[in-house]
Amino acid sequence: MIDFENVSKTYGKNVKAVRSLNLHIDKGEFVFVMGDSGSGKSTLIRLLLREIEPSSGTILVDGVDITHMKRRKIPHYRRKLGVVFQDFKLLKDLNVYDNVAFAQRVVVTPTRQIRKEVPQILTRVGLSAKYKAFPGELSGGEQQRVAIARALVNKPDILLCDEPTGNLDAHNAWEVMRLLEEINAEGTTVVVVTHSQEIVDKMNRRVIVMNRGDMIDDRHKGGDDE
Amino acid sequence: MRVNTIVYCIGQGLKNIKRHFLPTLASVGTITACIFLFSIFFCVVVNLRHTVERVEETVGITVFFDKELSEEEVRAIGAEIAKNNDIREMHFTSAEEAWAEFQKDYLKGAEELAEGFVQDNPLATMPSYEIFLKDIEQQGVFVDWLEAIPGVRRVNASSVTAGGLVDMNNAIGYVSIALIAILLCVSVFLINNTISMAIAARRDEIRIMRLVGATKSFIRAPFLVEGLLIGLIGAAVPLGMVWGIYERAIVYLQGKLAILARLLSFLPLEEIMRTLIPVAAVLGVGIGLFGSIGAVRKHLKV
Ligand SMILES: Nc1ncnc2c1ncn2[C@@H]1O[C@H](COP(=O)(O)OP(=O)(O)OP(=O)(O)O)[C@@H](O)[C@H]1O
Ligand SMILES: [Mg+2]
Repeated sequence: MIDFENVSKTYGKNVKAVRSLNLHIDKGEFVFVMGDSGSGKSTLIRLLLREIEPSSGTILVDGVDITHMKRRKIPHYRRKLGVVFQDFKLLKDLNVYDNVAFAQRVVVTPTRQIRKEVPQILTRVGLSAKYKAFPGELSGGEQQRVAIARALVNKPDILLCDEPTGNLDAHNAWEVMRLLEEINAEGTTVVVVTHSQEIVDKMNRRVIVMNRGDMIDDRHKGGDDE
Repeated sequence: MRVNTIVYCIGQGLKNIKRHFLPTLASVGTITACIFLFSIFFCVVVNLRHTVERVEETVGITVFFDKELSEEEVRAIGAEIAKNNDIREMHFTSAEEAWAEFQKDYLKGAEELAEGFVQDNPLATMPSYEIFLKDIEQQGVFVDWLEAIPGVRRVNASSVTAGGLVDMNNAIGYVSIALIAILLCVSVFLINNTISMAIAARRDEIRIMRLVGATKSFIRAPFLVEGLLIGLIGAAVPLGMVWGIYERAIVYLQGKLAILARLLSFLPLEEIMRTLIPVAAVLGVGIGLFGSIGAVRKHLKV
């Protein structure tokens, strides 16, 4: 599903955020990415989103080389991905329903389909009762669930999460993790950047550890059903 | 694009305008000023040109000859003059005709008075030629040439009307082009600024759109619509102003400058508008699009 082949990313002249990375992620996998601050985790995610281009190497997604993709094809490629960031905010002046619907409107989804699918996905993340609420009226965990709903509403093949639980308390963090697990169980490939050793330990999934742009560890914990 | 999408983009454009009312107002204001000035200059220049044309048609040069010359001799000189290529039209007025004309114009209802005039009528013994030139700008040279011809006593030409009007028209033309060019640049700059602000204010939204997979044109369209609307409003306002002011201004001018106004001839509002509306619309749309395309190119990459 995802293949990094010798990928390096250097910002400016000498900030080597990622060095000769080789990484393969299978369809339907659940992968954690860990590492110290500045080790290149977010860079990895942004490379996948094609927000930035690698300095060298190739990235294949579904067998398609996204590093040499034509600019006008990028939007369509991105529709395969869902993203949840810690700082990837909801729009404050839109309610929950419209925040989720926004993701469909901007890719020109027919209104009838939006009306059907947004309530479905809100039920899925357990927020159907709060569809009229504005982000300011929600807890951090609820907001992050709305963000996940927004990421999922276009039915992506891959869900990319950069510290989705970064500013949540333990309880909310677990709720979000459980949701991600369920989504993964339904077949979506999930990549989660996190700092929480506790979550990683308890979830028992594949963990990639980055250190100053190098992948220093890639361990499969047993017990998953890949 | 679907109708839905178009409606969406226009809606977003309007929303932007609402959100950034003051910068939008500033942009609309400068475009309005720009196009309004343009309109004023346009009216002035067009009316002056119209006046010059009218003058060219109606104001002729009158040539008088030495008293001693007989009508035949005068006609002979006239035949020589007529060979000049600058002449569009030329009429001979005999002494009798001149007198009759004079009576008709100035002594109407005072025929007895006219009788008394006959003896020392200043025009009675004066046959003349009235000459209309092809191009009024040649008048000065032409008059000099006439005056040098033996037998020509006097040449009457209204030099104010001819040379003055042409020079004034040219000067106004240059000044207006310069001013409008400056205002155009300011307008484009301000729109660029307004749109850049709108883009900055919607950074989050734009990032979501990009990452969710909205196309470039979909992301850009609302801002181009915004620029376009600003341009159109900026064109509509001054057109409305011209519409409201034009005829009043003419009446005012005619009251204030009685003598000059009689000389000037004004085009009707409809005729002015027929050219002004499309030109102003193109200007407004052009400024709006040019400014917003610049901003969008700079700030909205894929
Ligand atoms: N746009 C950028 N321009 C220049 N340098 C950058 C840029 N983005 C990231 N970097 C640098 O690249 C390195 C990797 O950054 P990255 O954001 O990938 O780290 P991270 O692992 O996500 O860190 P954190 O855990 O703090 O989020 C850092 O040294 C960072 O300073
Ligand atoms: Mg990061």
